[in-house]
Amino acid sequence: MTKKNKAASLELINEVQQFLYREARHHDNEEFREWLDMLTEDIHYWMPYRYQRYRKNEKEPSIYDTAYYNDDMECLVKRIMRTETGTCWSEDPATRSAHVITNIEVELTDNPDEFTVYSLTTVHRNINEDEEHTMIGHRTDLIRRVNGELKLAKRKIILDQNIFKNKSLNVYL
Amino acid sequence: MNNIDCKPLVGTEEGWIDRRIFWEQAIYEQELEQIFAKAWQFVAHDSMLPNANDFYTTYMGEDGVIVARQKDGSVKVFLNSCTHRGNKICFADDGNTRTFNCNYHGWAFGTDGELKGLSNEHVYNEGDIDKSKWGLQQARVDNYKGLIFATFDDEAPSLEEYLGDFRWYLDIMLDQDEGGTEFIGGGIKNYINANWKFGVENFIGDAYHALWTHDSGFKAMNNNEGFPPADPKGSYHASMNGHGWEFGTDGLADIAILGQPKVLEYYEKMRPKMAERLGEMRSKIFGSLASVSLFPNCSFLPGIQTFRVWLPRGPHKFEMRMWTIVNKNMPDEIKQAINIGCMQTFNPAGVLEMDDGENWEGNTVVNKGVVTRKGKLHYGCGINSRIEHEELPGIIHAGQFNDANQRLFYQRWADMMNAKSWDDIPERYTPRYAGKPTV
Repeated sequence: MTKKNKAASLELINEVQQFLYREARHHDNEEFREWLDMLTEDIHYWMPYRYQRYRKNEKEPSIYDTAYYNDDMECLVKRIMRTETGTCWSEDPATRSAHVITNIEVELTDNPDEFTVYSLTTVHRNINEDEEHTMIGHRTDLIRRVNGELKLAKRKIILDQNIFKNKSLNVYL
Repeated sequence: MNNIDCKPLVGTEEGWIDRRIFWEQAIYEQELEQIFAKAWQFVAHDSMLPNANDFYTTYMGEDGVIVARQKDGSVKVFLNSCTHRGNKICFADDGNTRTFNCNYHGWAFGTDGELKGLSNEHVYNEGDIDKSKWGLQQARVDNYKGLIFATFDDEAPSLEEYLGDFRWYLDIMLDQDEGGTEFIGGGIKNYINANWKFGVENFIGDAYHALWTHDSGFKAMNNNEGFPPADPKGSYHASMNGHGWEFGTDGLADIAILGQPKVLEYYEKMRPKMAERLGEMRSKIFGSLASVSLFPNCSFLPGIQTFRVWLPRGPHKFEMRMWTIVNKNMPDEIKQAINIGCMQTFNPAGVLEMDDGENWEGNTVVNKGVVTRKGKLHYGCGINSRIEHEELPGIIHAGQFNDANQRLFYQRWADMMNAKSWDDIPERYTPRYAGKPTV
């Protein structure tokens, strides 16, 4: 689906970068409703689990397997609702998080309004007295222009861990 | 080993537990010897190993094991450690292979655990090694309706006897439909810095915490409506041999938490068939607000369909492995709806699961304080609620908001911690189904 013969313009790359940074800022500030506004209605937010396998046994993850996230808009809205109930005890006091977005590549596709975007997200989470976790996700996004505005339509995140090393994944990658 | 007297640490009759059992290294070491080296433990589901030479690696206590499907369809479970210098012989989570080759010197073991060959075998002279004597240590293996269990104790009773009348309850999950069950592909593993028993005891009987801990997650999954008021009527704790199932009998509440209306519809259609197979009572237990643990470290939620083991990693840490369990004969669309609902609620990112780990870590780490650690914890809810029930086997307590199953789990724990042999472990209930089928 990607066309590598035509490079994305600097203007487009800049626009996509600003989009991803804004998204990261909304995550850091827990502005989840603002984040939802950055997604298309048909969003697929997917973070599959990958077993550690011998090279000869490696398989691509499937959406029919177990995953951390395999969400449409309805699922994501439910997650956000949890944090708005006022009874989400584990989020009070609040989590401190920083989303560092790097290695951004923008590729054009056959659809002039859709772009494949690769990025790395390094999420640093600090909670309670001194608990610190760092998670690195390899992201492949489909970003779509809707009425002139960029929106996230698909995201696949591959985490660089086998056993997930934390008690919870309460931040978005 | 077997040197700490654990009976004084567990107040089953009075309703308290000594906090040291969640913290002390010496108690943990005794658990590895007295419980994890002896008890039958869940190691895999049949569906994870469909073909000959399929394997899955896991742990029994801290002993790494390989679970492998044989050519004749049987399953073997053996230690994942080379008999030469001890290196792991398999570093993959699962897969299919004909041999496990040790990375260090190239000793090759078959999927039956036997030593098949040595690299550069000519460096050994005749008489140096008898390969038939240097295979991997095998565990005893048995299967209950798709769940594969293993134990390293030759003296352990049969799996059937170990499960006892709990089989009557397990059938609600494993034999509600003629095709049996399977696991959805893949699974998730994560670490929690808490004592492993906090996970087990939560699932064995702690309906109480759901009302408070999971208020936010429940509202998220149920259009912002909270749990209905706690009504202990028609709900129970059932305990046998340290296994426990707490449940209501409305057949509904846990399925509703999945937030998938088509799954509710599916079960409503299926319920008469379930009743025909298992009887009215068991068909109403399935899907109610319920949670289950098998002694020592396997748990599931009937209706929500998360299935997991709590693998100990020291007294203050465990590894959780979780899967989604479904009926084999379900339409693919229903399997996927359950998978989605189950993942959204119960995995490290699940709207219910996220709140549990925080609690269990807090329960554990506070005991670093020597003054704190000397205190007892209250386990007295429902201390006088024991009843006899015509239909329900096992030790039954009325009301699912109860600490009864937890108390009896710790009683079994203490019984095993000090047993010199299986004969030392008292029978705490009268089985109704000994030697009889439960369906």
